[in-house]
Amino acid sequence: MERQDHDSPSAQVDIEVTINGERFRNRVPARLLLSDFIRDVAGLTGTHVGCEHGVCGACTVIVDGDAARSCSLLAVQVDGCTIRTVEDLATDGGLCPMQQAFHENLALQCGFCTPGFLMTLESVDPQDFADADDLFALLSGHLCRCTGYQNIIKAVASVWNEAIEPHGGRFQS
Amino acid sequence: MKPASFDYYRPSSVSGAVQALADSPFAKVLAGGQSLIPAMNFRLATPPMLVDIARLEDLHGVEVDEHEVTIGAGVTQRHVEMSTRVAEVMPALAEALRWVGHIQTRNRGTVCGSLAHADPSGELPALAINTDADLTVEGPNGIREVPAPDFIRGPFWTDLRPGELITSIRFPVAPRGTTTRVAEIAHRSGDFATVGLVASLTRDGRTIRRARLCGFAVAGTPIRLRSVEGLLPGVEQLDETAGRTLADAAAADLEDPVGDIHATGQYRREALAALVVRTVRSMLEDPQREAS
Ligand SMILES: Cc1cc2nc3c(=O)[nH]c(=O)nc-3n(C[C@@H](O)[C@H](O)[C@H](O)COP(=O)(O)OP(=O)(O)OC[C@H]3O[C@@H](n4cnc5c(N)ncnc54)[C@H](O)[C@@H]3O)c2cc1C
Ligand code: FES
Ligand code: FES
Repeated sequence: MERQDHDSPSAQVDIEVTINGERFRNRVPARLLLSDFIRDVAGLTGTHVGCEHGVCGACTVIVDGDAARSCSLLAVQVDGCTIRTVEDLATDGGLCPMQQAFHENLALQCGFCTPGFLMTLESVDPQDFADADDLFALLSGHLCRCTGYQNIIKAVASVWNEAIEPHGGRFQS
Repeated sequence: MKPASFDYYRPSSVSGAVQALADSPFAKVLAGGQSLIPAMNFRLATPPMLVDIARLEDLHGVEVDEHEVTIGAGVTQRHVEMSTRVAEVMPALAEALRWVGHIQTRNRGTVCGSLAHADPSGELPALAINTDADLTVEGPNGIREVPAPDFIRGPFWTDLRPGELITSIRFPVAPRGTTTRVAEIAHRSGDFATVGLVASLTRDGRTIRRARLCGFAVAGTPIRLRSVEGLLPGVEQLDETAGRTLADAAAADLEDPVGDIHATGQYRREALAALVVRTVRSMLEDPQREAS
């Protein structure tokens, strides 16, 4: 159901997006980035902004099921879409299994990169990944200046191995 | 680090997009935005208008038959990468796509956008040139077809004229017995290549019948390595001497390598030569795989 708001060129646009189940209808500048919409308009500051040119992955959110860089998307590009951010992961005050594994494996230090990693991981099905190399390729879209990645890999491997073949080692590096 | 102000326009038809582009000479097409939005964040690009073509139904087609694969300008890189229909006739596309940025950028970026962007270190322009793909372009004067080698004119420079947009790209399916490899030297996985190669070998048993190789990130445009291609037919394996001859040919094919902050021209020439030998050798050692 396409709304007709964008049928003439305009610097202000009306958009409607659902973020973590909550619907937002706003008139925003066309140049507003999705990352700024999420942080400043929706007030969800769990999505971090590092490089603002698509390289670091800190701003990664899920758009209609797929991981995407919110700094490299205009808010108007996701008009009508459903967004999930890191705030959507924990339930009833408890961490989701991946968050818990990050916590237990010391997979974060400053935590700036963490929401991005978590959202990319949330967007995929471990069954689609054959081995540790596949996992590295997925995570290569994220920069972490603190951990050296090893503990992140450990955390993911612990959740994914358990999900696919309990006590298996498919994702161990 | 925010884009300068601009007018946003989401036309409801391709002709509407063409009209808007023709009316506003500095307007830019917005497809996946994975190159354009970062450039606008840095204000390297400050277009007065963006014409968003991502939702045009007419541009969402992927057509596959035994002769060619046609990909509309609204189709994302990830969609093509994951398509089993495409993989059946042209595995080269998924092979090239997995080198393009990251899953998160491929979820949004389009195949045709990569061609329009014409980054000299892009994998897809190199694959398009190596396979003699054709682009379909629509503009105020109608529709025309442009072969990829003519379309890519220079770094970030294409044959697109004012008011025109790419509507689709058509890749011919390679002959039976063809395998394609992409090989790169890059600082980090997912980074733009410092030196890149697309190599396509068509074999009959163990013997090479046809070779097509294209270097990228080494010059202003992807470069077909014609003398390398001339040496390979009839070859079954690369011994030391043949390897050296091949490396010399690759170095000679790259007449005018670029030097920049990442590598000197001389480094690029030597690295490309090494990449050619290494890649061809490892393809020859691989058990013969069917199809392209
Ligand atoms: C971190 C990162 C890493 C990347 N790594 C790589 C890499 O390794 N290799 C690589 O090749 N690319 C890489 N890219 C760029 C790639 O992701 C882009 O998707 C691609 O270059 C452009 O496609 P797009 O659909 O996003 O186009 P956009 O960004 O929307 O547009 C790019 C340019 O093309 C024009 N354009 C787009 N579509 C059309 C059309 N149909 N007709 C006319 N003009 C059009 C636009 O006006 C603009 O000038 C990377 C990007 C990022 C952010
Ligand atoms: S802030 Fe978006 S990728 Fe770095
Ligand atoms: S924990 Fe600090 S950047 Fe990753």
